[in-house]
Amino acid sequence: MNTLAWWLIRAQFRTRRTATLLSMLAIALGVALGYAIHLINDAALADFGRAMKTVQGDPDAVVGARDSAGGVPVATINAIASDPAVLVVAPVIETRVRVNSVRTPVRLIGLDVFSAAAVMPWLLPRQDDRSTTGGILDGDVYASPSLLAKLGLQAGATVTLARGDREWLTKIAGDLPATGPDDLLLVADIAWVQERFGPNEAVGEGRVRLAPEVDLATWRTALQARLPPGLLVRAAEDDRTRVSNLSRAYRVNLNVLALVALLTGAFLVFATQLTAIAQRSTQFALLGVLGLSPRMRLLQVLLEGLAIGIPGAVVGLGLGYALAFAFTQILGGDLGGGYFSGSTPSIVPQPAPLLGFLALGCVASLAGALYPAYLNRVQPLAQALKTGFAQSRAAFSARSRWLLAALLALAAFVLAQMPPLFELPLAGYAAIALVLMIGVSSAPLFTRALFGWLAKRRLPAAQQIAIQNVAQAPLMAQVAASGLIISFALTASMVIMVASFRVAVDHWLDHVLPAPLYLRGKATPLPQELLDALAGTQTPFARIERSAQETLVIDPQRPSVALLVRELERDNPAARLPFTGPVVAPPADMPVVWISEPMHEIYRIAPGQTLRLPLRGHDVEVFVGGVWRDYSRQFGAVAIGRDDFVRLGGRFAPSELALWPLPGQERLASDWLAPWTDRYGLELADSLEIRQLSLSIFDKSFAVTYALEAAAMLIGLFGLAVTLAASVWLRARELATLGALGFDRRMLGRAVMVEGALIALVGLLIGLACGVAIGGILTHVINPQAFHWRMALTIPWPAVIAGALLTLAAAIVASRYAARQATRLPVARVLASAD
Amino acid sequence: MLAVADLAKRYADVGRPLFSGIDFAVAAGEIVALVGESGIGKSTLLNCIAGLETADCGSVHIGPHALDMVRLDEAARAALRARNIGFVFQAFHVLPTLTVAQNIIVPLLLARVPSGEHATRTQALLERVGLAGFADRWPASLSGGELQRVAIARALVHRPALILADEPTGNLDPRTASDVLSLLLERVREQRAGALIVTHSQHVAQCCDRVLTLTANGLA
Repeated sequence: MNTLAWWLIRAQFRTRRTATLLSMLAIALGVALGYAIHLINDAALADFGRAMKTVQGDPDAVVGARDSAGGVPVATINAIASDPAVLVVAPVIETRVRVNSVRTPVRLIGLDVFSAAAVMPWLLPRQDDRSTTGGILDGDVYASPSLLAKLGLQAGATVTLARGDREWLTKIAGDLPATGPDDLLLVADIAWVQERFGPNEAVGEGRVRLAPEVDLATWRTALQARLPPGLLVRAAEDDRTRVSNLSRAYRVNLNVLALVALLTGAFLVFATQLTAIAQRSTQFALLGVLGLSPRMRLLQVLLEGLAIGIPGAVVGLGLGYALAFAFTQILGGDLGGGYFSGSTPSIVPQPAPLLGFLALGCVASLAGALYPAYLNRVQPLAQALKTGFAQSRAAFSARSRWLLAALLALAAFVLAQMPPLFELPLAGYAAIALVLMIGVSSAPLFTRALFGWLAKRRLPAAQQIAIQNVAQAPLMAQVAASGLIISFALTASMVIMVASFRVAVDHWLDHVLPAPLYLRGKATPLPQELLDALAGTQTPFARIERSAQETLVIDPQRPSVALLVRELERDNPAARLPFTGPVVAPPADMPVVWISEPMHEIYRIAPGQTLRLPLRGHDVEVFVGGVWRDYSRQFGAVAIGRDDFVRLGGRFAPSELALWPLPGQERLASDWLAPWTDRYGLELADSLEIRQLSLSIFDKSFAVTYALEAAAMLIGLFGLAVTLAASVWLRARELATLGALGFDRRMLGRAVMVEGALIALVGLLIGLACGVAIGGILTHVINPQAFHWRMALTIPWPAVIAGALLTLAAAIVASRYAARQATRLPVARVLASAD
Repeated sequence: MLAVADLAKRYADVGRPLFSGIDFAVAAGEIVALVGESGIGKSTLLNCIAGLETADCGSVHIGPHALDMVRLDEAARAALRARNIGFVFQAFHVLPTLTVAQNIIVPLLLARVPSGEHATRTQALLERVGLAGFADRWPASLSGGELQRVAIARALVHRPALILADEPTGNLDPRTASDVLSLLLERVREQRAGALIVTHSQHVAQCCDRVLTLTANGLA
C-alpha cells in the first residue's frame, strides 16, 4: 500500500505541478510569516531581558519606591542589610545625563562596587593593572563600549555631564566589558552620583541577594509588611513578567494575523485537493472498485495534503529565518509596536518552536485536505466511475443553512460581548472565526439565489452558460469564492479598523496638541534658567503651560502608570483633557485626579470612586473625577493638577512646555528658543510636526499587518485561479460539445471569464459584509481588550470599494488563466476520448 | 465461483423494482453472457454482484470461501473485490498517471501479493496479452485495443476467482473487438476463473458458454 500511495503522490505532483506548487507556496508563506514574527519577538524579548539582566543583575528581590521621584531611605537599606536572611544588598541610583552636549541623554548608574560584584557583576568596570576600585571611588566614570564608540571617545577622555542647567566635568576611566552592543551606559560610584544628582539620604533601589535556604515569598511578605506604604519589594520574576506583559497583546495579535496567512494557505490546499479529487474522481473510483478500501481512499488524500504541507513548511521555516534576519538587520527588533525599538537582536532558532511551526504547517495542510478526503471516501463508486465527480445533493437544505448561519451569527454576537480571557481577546478572535464561517457557508445560498434568478433572464449565450454553470455547481463556486471571502473580509476589516483608529487618533491629537509649539527635555527636567526667562515679561509668548511626568507602580506585575502633572483648572479639566464621559466634581477638600481610558479598563476604576496613589512615600487617597482618552500610554495614566500635586508634597519640576506665541511672532518665538535648545539639548517641535510624526509612527506600526493582508489576498486570488482552471478541466466535454456546436474559442473564453467574474463578485460582496462585521469586532472588542484603546467605527467607503474593484479586476485577470485553458481544448480529441 | 440467490433491487427515488428474484451461478472456468434491453438493469445487477451497489435482498457468494457480498460492510466488500474479482470495462479505465506495468501491479498491491512476485507475474501477463515491451509505456500513447489488453492483464494478474466485464468490446472497432474478446476468453479459461460478461453484442454472447437474458420479469 505504501508503494501505491507513493505512486499516486508522485503522479499528483507530476500532473498538477502548478496547483501543487502554489499550495506549497501558500503554506510556506503562512509558516514563514508566523515563524519570522515569532523569531523576531522572541529575540527582542530575550535581548530586552538580557539587557535588563545586565543592568539589573540577578537579584532575588528589588526594593524600590512606588513613585519614580521617590527613593529608598539609606536607613531602610541598612536595616535590610542587617537582616540575617540577606546575604547582600546592592544600592543603586539611576539617572540620565547628556554627555558632551550630545542631545540624547544616556543612563548613568551609581553603584557600590563591592556589593555590585555579588548581584550585578556585568556592570563592573574592566579589571586591569591599575586599581579600578580606587579609580571609581575617586569619581571616575566608566562607559559601555557601545557608548564609547557612539561618542567617538576612548578611555581617559574628559567629558562634561549635564542634567538640567547643571554640568560636571569628569573622566572616563575605562569601559564596561560585559555590557551588550545596545547598552549605552555610564557607571559611577553611588556616593558620587548621589552627591550630584540626589536623592538625599536615599537611593533609587536596593537589589537583594538572599541566603540560599531562605524562602523568597515568605521573606517578601514579611518585609513588605514592615516597609512604609511608599516602598515596594518585588521579585525579579515580577520584572520579567512586566517586560513580557508590555508587549504580550501586541505579540499575540501579530501571531494571530500570521495564523490568518496560514489559514488562507490551508484554504489553498483545500481548493487544490478538492479540485484534484474532482479531476481524479474516476481514477479514485476505479481504485475503489479494484479494492482500495474507503479508509485508504480517505488516507490517500490526507497523505497528498501532507506531501504538500511538509515541504511547504520546511521551505517556510527557511524563509521565515531569512525574513527575520533581514528584518532585524534593517528595522531592528521592533515590528512597529514600539516596545523594542533601538535593539538589533540576534536571531537564534530554538528546536521546540521550529518543530511547532513545522507541525503547524502540516496541520494546516491536513486541515485543508480533510473535507476533500471525506468527499473521496463517500463518493458512490459506480456513479463516479461512469460520470465522474458527482456533486451530491446538499447535505443540508437551504432552510437549514439559513438557520445555521443565524445560529452562528448569534454565537458570534455572544462571544463579542464576553470579557477578555487571560487578559487577551480570545472570545473576540473566536467571534471573528465564526463570522468567516458564516461567510463561507452562505456562499452557496447566495450563489444559487442570485444566479438562479439571473439564469431565467434572456442573456447572450456566453453569459447564459456562465450563469447556468455557477447556479448549478454550487460546490465549485463555493470553493472558488471562499478564498476571496476570507481574504477580502480580513483585508476590508483591517482597512476599516485602521481607518477608525487613525481618525480617532487624528481627533485626539487635535485635543491634546492645542498649542502651536512644544518644548521638552529628553528624560531630564527643563533647566531652571529657561523657566525663569520664560516667566519674564519680555518673551514672545502669549501663554505657557508647564507639565511634568513621573511613574507610579500600582501593581508590581503590571507596567508602571504615568503620573502627568499639568496646570489644569480643577473645575474645568475638559479644556485640556479629552474626556470620554461626564466629569464628576470632587469634594472640596479632596485632591482630584483624572484617569486615562486604559487605566479605567485595567484597574476597573470609575469616576466618582477614590484611588490610593503612592506619592512621596505615602499612600494618598484621591478622588477620580473622570476618564479621558489616551492613545499614547497603553498601560494607564493619571493626570493631576499642579496645585493638588504640590499640596500632596510633590516637587513640580516641569519637563515639557506648551507654548502659544504672540500673534504674528511665531518665527520670533522659535528664534527666541533656539539658543536654549542648542545649549541644553532640548526638543522643540510645532504641533503639525508632532502630529505628522505621530501618524507616521501609527502607520509604521501597521506595516507588518499590511504585509500579512497582502499575502492573504494573493493566496485568495491563487485559489480562485486554481479552482476555475480545474472547473474547466472537469467540464472539458461540455465545453468541447459547445465548441462542436458552433461556439468559437473567444466565446468559450468569455464564458469562463464571466463565470470567474461572477464568482469573484459573490465572494467580494459576502467578503465585504463579513469585513464590516469583523471591522466592528476589531474596533469595539479586540482593540479595547488587547490594547485598551476605544474608538468610534469609521468605514472608509471609498477605500473599501476601491479595494473591492481592484480585487475584482485582479480576479478577472486570474480567470484568464482558466479561460486560456478553455480556448485551448482540442475539441475533437476531447469528444472522442472515453474519459 | 459465483452464486446469486433471490437478488432484488428497487429504484431508490421511485421505489419501483428494477429486478427481483435473480438466481444463477457461474462455475469455475465457465463464461456467461448477460444480455438484455438498454436500461433493463444489467449494469446495476453487475454492480450489486461486485458490491458497488447494495441489493435490497438476496445473496451473492463469490470465491472459494463463498463470502456473501450483500452482508458485508464497505471495507470488507473492497477487500473481497481486491482478492477475488477482476474487472474489465467498456471505457478501459486505465490510470493515465501510472505506466502500463504499474497499472497491472495495482491489483497485486491491493490483494497484498508478495512484492517478489510482482515483476514476474506482470511480465508473464504482458506477454500473454501481446504487450511484451510495453511495461514502461504511458497509457496516453496506446491505442484502444492496447488499452483494453492492459485492462485484461490487470483483471487477471492477481488470479481472481471471478471476472466481471461490462461491454468489454463496446468501444472497439470490429476487428480489434474480435481480437480482444478472443484474448479475454482464452485467458479466463486458462486461469479457470468464472466470468460474467454484460454485452449488447450477439457475437460476444455466442462466444460464451451460456447466455442469460435479463428482462422485466427476471432472468431467462
